[in-house]
Order: sequence, then structure tokens, then C-alpha cells
Amino acid sequence: MTTETRSAGPRPRILILDDEPIVCKRLKPTFQKMGYEVETFTDSASALARLRETTFNIVITDLKMEGADGMQVLMGAKESSADTHVIVITGFATLDTAKESYRKGAFDFVAKPFKLGDIVDCVKRIEEKQRGSGL
Amino acid sequence: MWWQRLIGRKHPQRRDIAEINIWRLQSLFNNFRRILFLNNAVLEDMARMEQALGGEYIFDKAFMETAVRTLSSRVHHVAYNLNALTGNGYIPLYDRYQDIRIILDDILAGSIRSLTGAPVLPLQAVGWELEPLVGINLVCLAELRHHPGCRVADGFIITTEGVQSLIRPILPVGEAERADASATEIRAGIEEQLKMLLGDRQTMRFSVAITRIEGEAELINELGRFALVPDPDGSAVKIIPESSFCGEDSESATESLLKIISASPSPVDSPVSPYVLCLEQIIRTVCANLEQGGKEPVGQLSVFVRSCPPAIISGIIHTRAASSGSLEGLRITANLPDANDAGDTFLLRRTYPFDLIQSTITPRPAGYRFPDGRLATGEAAAISGFMRGSALIDSKMLKRLAETAMTLERMMGSPVAVHWECREEATCCITGLTPMPVILAEISDDDLAREQEEAEILCRTGQMVQSGIAAGRVVHVTDEMRPADFPAGAVAVARTASPQLTPVLQRAAAIITEYGTTTGHLATVARELRLPAIFGLPDALTLLPQGSEVTVDASETTIYRGILEMLLRHGAREMDLTPADPEYRTLRRLLRFIMPLNLIDPEAPNFSPHGCRTFHDIIHFCHEKAVDELAHFQERRPGLGAIRTRRMNLGVPMDIRVLDIGGGMTKSTTIEPGPGEVRSAPLAVFLEGLLDPKAWATELPTLAFRDIISSVPRSMGMLSAPLDSLGENLAIVSHDYMNISLRLGYHFSVIDAHLGVDDSRDYVYFRFAGGLADPERRGRRAQFISKVLDAMEFKVSVKGDLVIGRLKLVDTAALQAAIGILGALTAFSRQRDTGLYSDADTRALFTIFADTFLTDYTGTTSPAIDRHTPNLGQTGNSGQAGAPDNAYSATIIGAEK
Repeated sequence: MTTETRSAGPRPRILILDDEPIVCKRLKPTFQKMGYEVETFTDSASALARLRETTFNIVITDLKMEGADGMQVLMGAKESSADTHVIVITGFATLDTAKESYRKGAFDFVAKPFKLGDIVDCVKRIEEKQRGSGL
Repeated sequence: MWWQRLIGRKHPQRRDIAEINIWRLQSLFNNFRRILFLNNAVLEDMARMEQALGGEYIFDKAFMETAVRTLSSRVHHVAYNLNALTGNGYIPLYDRYQDIRIILDDILAGSIRSLTGAPVLPLQAVGWELEPLVGINLVCLAELRHHPGCRVADGFIITTEGVQSLIRPILPVGEAERADASATEIRAGIEEQLKMLLGDRQTMRFSVAITRIEGEAELINELGRFALVPDPDGSAVKIIPESSFCGEDSESATESLLKIISASPSPVDSPVSPYVLCLEQIIRTVCANLEQGGKEPVGQLSVFVRSCPPAIISGIIHTRAASSGSLEGLRITANLPDANDAGDTFLLRRTYPFDLIQSTITPRPAGYRFPDGRLATGEAAAISGFMRGSALIDSKMLKRLAETAMTLERMMGSPVAVHWECREEATCCITGLTPMPVILAEISDDDLAREQEEAEILCRTGQMVQSGIAAGRVVHVTDEMRPADFPAGAVAVARTASPQLTPVLQRAAAIITEYGTTTGHLATVARELRLPAIFGLPDALTLLPQGSEVTVDASETTIYRGILEMLLRHGAREMDLTPADPEYRTLRRLLRFIMPLNLIDPEAPNFSPHGCRTFHDIIHFCHEKAVDELAHFQERRPGLGAIRTRRMNLGVPMDIRVLDIGGGMTKSTTIEPGPGEVRSAPLAVFLEGLLDPKAWATELPTLAFRDIISSVPRSMGMLSAPLDSLGENLAIVSHDYMNISLRLGYHFSVIDAHLGVDDSRDYVYFRFAGGLADPERRGRRAQFISKVLDAMEFKVSVKGDLVIGRLKLVDTAALQAAIGILGALTAFSRQRDTGLYSDADTRALFTIFADTFLTDYTGTTSPAIDRHTPNLGQTGNSGQAGAPDNAYSATIIGAEK
């Protein structure tokens, strides 16, 4: 039997961007339960505008979207804050897009469909990394 | 010259034949193995789609499109390979494939054209695939019919297509063109359904509910309810608008209808004609009213007509309602017919055991007779109301209503308002439901986080089968427990995810098992019911003690001690993937044409290409026919008898020739290889059993003259077969495969088995027929073999002296043991039929065999573990819980490496 506790303090922020509302809808409650303050967007322009206003600990973005695509959002997030970790999700994963994502600073690249646990693990790895670096 | 022809024919042509035959044989097996491989891949694809429906994957529309494209391609190839295997024996399969593919593409494109069928349907004929034509509320109502203990009103539905046809003259041309069925056909359909509901009666009161099926934002919107009330002499029917229950907008719509509907039809000859006229009038009036309002288009309307016998009590259940305090509960109202008061109101907890929180009992009118026989009096009211407040329904009925309503909420994926009636025969009947727009009290993220911090996690592991959050008391499900004894609304905890738990799932709030897979039958049922489920949680029975209160967060495979109210409310607000999501509905519709297996019995008349209604049907049909082709290939392909084989040296009076098609034997060139040179896994274990001295120990019975005479017609038939194929025992083997045809005397058996590294692909097929005794004794021998197969948990069918057994999806060790025992059985049962003069002989023979060979057979190591293939398990149209475990669920089979 285990008892897990969560650390108190200001809640970290996470931004989720996907033009398919179902992805936002399903990811949001999971991260809320993990203690995150979650904001979701279905258009990249609004998400980029929000990234210019506020710093997020983690950004989860789709790759292929109308207007600015995931790569632009990735760069926008990094410009806003170099400490922001970006996870790229896409239903059209190729080796080239994965390489490009990593080259531009993505923390991870996840192909859709994915299990909820996969992305949760990814976020936990970011948390560990941030704890390790004292952020 | 004759000698030149003879010479020319003798040597070169024999070599040519052999080469051609081995090529054909390899082609035959390659097609078969391709079918196995594709079959498995399709089943995996289907499982993945179903797991996505259960909330395991985050997916989008692109996933569904890709999945359908991949799956379709594989199914098409399965049909192609079967036709290649059988010499184009099943060309109509391509048509069935194409029909289903068109439907799937239509669903993905958002079109319902290909779904259109009968415009008037009885409620019981409705399944999830028809949701865009009838509305999700009626689908849920139809599904509820399959839950034990739940009664649903009898009725029928005029689909959106039917309504469009009826109102065509008053619709704009563009919309009218979409109506396919003629109004005459619709009327005939309505008349037929009304007559069925009327039965022997001349008249009856009916209730009519009109629903608009909304777009993506909302699911449905009930526009109004009406009663069709016959005159006492049955000459005419009146339309009486009834109040709506789904909010102010609907009530105002009903009020406006009141002004328009006033006439009743003239008497006509057919007893149901007045009802039909009234129905049409209602539909036209509703449409006209909507058009006149001009606020929004008429949209897609469906009509539910149900019989409406007099009710003693009726009411509504709101699955989510606030009490005077902050506590949320489930509210049930109960009213007497024609009473003007507010009726009784009860607030219950939303979790098992649905304790009563609050009740408001309305004083009964003077003259009301209480259950104990006393009458309510005006004096009592004048004094204090004492003796005027006996509740209309008891606590037992309250709990049953609560259970049913929560089941419907789970199906719908959102809070619901459920109409119920209690009729003269004291039975409760659900008459309608609508999704309930509820604005839930905002949950503070801090409160949620705090609750999570303080919560004690009892376990966090296992595999999520169906997402969702539920809470209740733990009840351990044992083998001895009758499903009816499982307390509805409790959290079921069981050792294995056995299909036998299906009835329990219909009563549980959540299901946890120590063993079981996410692709099993029970997993499918849990998804169908949208029941939070975690399988494969070690020591669940220990970690979750009987009677303890827990909260299950299946999405996170986490179970907390106690009831976490915040988490429950959070789950209710953000239910993972629900019917409210278009992706959920699309995927569910797709799966209705992919997953269900309708062709279960290979002997049934509909076991044909034409009978295939889903992709699962097609691949199952192809697999069965492919196995059948291989089981008979020596008879059907006599030319293959000339292939080069080697006789095995087995040391028993039996000749087996072996043909290695890939890694089945060592590379030695021994003329007569022995068992030590066998590399084929299934043949090796088969020979172990076959060569067991105990199987050869007993003396063969003496043949009576009658036996030989009775066998003449059969033996003559066999003797007429090509010499090459008579009396030859041929084993075609590869490293993981064996197809062995044995003729022992006049017995003929085939064992087709795959035994590789992946036990999900392994199987054994056994076919036995023939004999030398009279039909009665051959039948007894068939019974004996059948009993042996039964004991090893084969799926067995017996027809005369033909026994067919199949064993799949069991542990490798169990399958190996079974193949070995088949070897022993082959030797043991030779000509045993001649000694079986009575059923007692059969039993005695079985006892001998069981004592000798079955005592060490452990069967599947976890026999109750459901390792079956996912399947929506249609029974009739339902495809939901309670569906029988089907034959094909046990047919994941071997595949090429």
C-alpha cells in the first residue's frame, strides 16, 4: 500500500494546442488532476498570442494545423521562455519531422494515437528534469 | 511408337508432376499462412480501435481514417487469399467487402446514406449504428432492454428518413430530395407496428415523443410529447399534448403546439388508421411550427411511439441534482395520475447503496387509499397532516430506479432525466430519457488538488480497459456468487476477467480484476457499458477488502480509499470520452460494422459470403473455410498425392509420411527419419503422445462380421479414392506448423496445429470421422472422442460420427499437452468403435483413457481467464452486454513469421 503526496506551492502551467478539440478535452482533466493549471487552444494564433503574454512550464502542441504549424509554435514557446519544455504530438509522424522537432528544441515527439500514460510519463520526465535543474 | 510414349511419360513427366505439385502445395500453404497472418493483424487492429473507444488512446479523426484504410486493405487481402486457396470459390466475398467498405467510408464522411434501412423500426431493432437516424436517447433505451431487471416500454421509431418522407410535400425541394422511402411505405410501416403493439386489442392509448437530433454540439432536443387517446367506441383518436420535461424551451414549444393541434381524425375502416393520421398530423404540425418560428431549420426529427397503458404512479429521475445543501444526489419524483400536487420527491446518493438523503412526501388527497387499506381524510389534513403522507414508492423501488438511471447515465455519458411509470401489474417501466443539461458547481482546482494530496492510494497499477471514475463499496465476486446477488452499484473485484462476469458488469459501478486482458470479451462488455474497468491488478482481492469504500479512477488505473467527492464531481464534469463527443460516436458507428461477429456456427445456413455483415464476419468466414480446405486438401487435390515424401520410422505399426515445407525436420537425408529428427514443434509433441506405449497397450477388439458388412459402403467409397491418398498418413510440417492426415483402418482424422513463439497465434484443429462398426457404435466412439476433447476444453461439435474440435488462445503448455494427448488418442481410439455396444462401454472407455492420459492434463493454467478476441458480441441487434461468448472469439490463429 502506498500513499503519495504532492508538493505544495504555485501550480505549474501547461498549454495544450491541438486543432482537434477532442485532444484538448481529453488531456486537460488529466493534467488538472496532476496539479497543473491548464489552458487549451484549438488555433495556433491564439496560442502564440498567449505564449507571448505568459510563461508556461510545458507546451503540448499538435504539428499539422491551419495557420502557424507546430514547428512555429515550438519556436514561439522557446522564444518566449527557453525553459519551457515542448512536447510535439502528431498524427502524421515521420522521421524527418521528429528530427526537425528535436533540432528545434522539442523535449519529446509523440505520434498519435497515444496512450494517456505515454504523455503523462513524458510530463513526469520533464518534472524530474526540472527538479534536477532546480527549476 | 507406344514404347516411346511410355518412356516419354514415365520418368520426365513424373518429375514434372512432382515439381508442379510441390509448387502448388507451397502456394496452398502460403495462402493459408497469409490468411492466418492477416487475420491476426485484423484482430489486433480491431482491438486497438476498441481500446481507443474505451478511452485508452488519445486519438483524432486521422486515426480513424487510417485505421479503416489499413483494416479494409487487410480484410480485402484475406478474401483474396481465400479465393486463391480455393480456386476462386468465394467470389461473392468481394461484394460483401465492398458493401461494408462503402458504409465505413460514409460514416467517416459524416453521411448516413448507407445506414438508411427500414424507416419504421421496433425499438428492439435499434443498435448504436442507427444513432444518427433515431437519436442517442432511443439507442440507450433500446440497449437498456438487454439489462436484466430493467423493463422498457414497448414501442417503435419513425427514423429521421421516415419523418422526412412523411413531411416531404411541405419541405423545400432540396430537403425533400433526400427522402428516399415513399410516404405510403412509411404509413404501411407505422400501421404494421401499431398492429403489433395493439395485439388482440382494438384500441389503446399511445404516447408520442418527437425528438430533434442535433449536430455536434448537442445530442438531441426533445420537442414535445403527445398522447393518442382513443374514443371509447374506437371510432376516433384524440391528440392530447403532454408537458415536456426537458426544460423551458421545450415547454414553450409544447405550448405553441397546443394552439395548432386540435382536430381528431375521422373514423376510417382500419382500426389503426386514426392513429396513423394523428401521428402524421403531429409531425406536420411540429414541422410547421418550427418553420413558422423561423428561428432555426426543421432539422432531423425522429418519432418514438410507445404503448401507454394506465399508470398507477409515474415520475422522473434526474441523475444529478442538488439538495438544499451542497451535496449532489439523484432525485426521483413520483406522482399519482392526474394529481395536481408536486408529488413525492426523493434525493438519494449517486453511489451504491443509494442511501436516501432526503424525502418530501406530499399529503394525499382525501379519499386516497393507503397500502394498508385506510383512507386519507380531510380531518387529518385539517389537524396536522398526520396520516396523509405515506410515500408512493418504497425504498426498494427507489434503489432500483436509481440503479437503472445510473446505468443510463453511464451509457449516455452525461447526466440524464429518465421517465418511469409503474403500471397495474406493479412493474416499473422506463418510458423515455433525455440528456440533462446540468451546470455543475465549479470545482476548485485547489480543492481537487488538496483532496488528491490527502487521499490514500490503495493501488496504482493494472491495465485500463474503460476510462471513468466511480465509487462504491467493494464486493468480491466469487465463483459461487449468483449475478443477481451482486449488489447493484458496488465495485466488483474478481480474480479473473471471465466472460461469466458479464451479468455482474451490468450491475456494478466499476470492475477490477487480478487477471485478464484488455482485448478479452469482458473488456468489450465493459466498454459497451462504459463501465470503469481495470484488469490485471495484482493482489486486488487483498488490496481492496470486501466492504471497503473506494474510488476508482480507471483512467489513471488508481484506486483510492474512501469516496473522493471532488474527484467524482471532476469526473462527472469532464468525462473522458463520451457519446457527446463526435469522435466517440463515429468510432462506435464504425465498430458496429467491423467488430460484431454474426457468423458463429459454420454449420448454419447463413454461414456464407452473403451472411457476412461485418469485417469480423468476413475474416472469420475466410479462416473457417481455409482450415476446411486444408483439412480436406488431400481429397480435393488428389494430384498432390504424388509429391515426394519420406516414410517415418516410428517403431509402431503405423506409417506416416512426412513432407517438410520449412524447418520441420533436420537437414539429414535419412531415408526413414525417426522422431529424433523432427524439428516441427507440434509434430514433436504429437508423436510423443502417439508413441506412448500406454496408447498401444490394450488389445484391439475382434471385428464381428456385422461390423465389416456395415462398413462396406463407406470403405468402398474410400477405396474408390486415388491410391496415393488412401491409407497414406501424411504429415506436412514446418518448424511451427503441422497438418497431419491419418487413416487408421477406416478412421480418418486430421490434426492441423500451429505452435510457435506467440501463444496468441497458436491453435489446434482436430477432425475425426469414420470407423468400421455400425452407425450406432461409430456414434458412441464419436461421443467418446468428444468427451476427451471436452475434458481438454476444446470447442467441440459432433455430427454423427464426425467430431470436430478446436482449441485456441490457451497457454502454450496447455496446447502442447493437448496435441500430445491427441497423439495418444489417435493410437488409443483405433477401431474402438467395434467394442462400444452400450453407452456404459463409452463411459468405461473414457474412464480408462482419462485415468491413463488426462490425469496430468492441467488444461489452461487459468481456465477462467478471458483470453478471447474482442468482440461486440451481437445478439440480435444489441451487441451489448450479455452477448454470448462467440465461436470466433477463440479463433486468433497462427501466423507467418
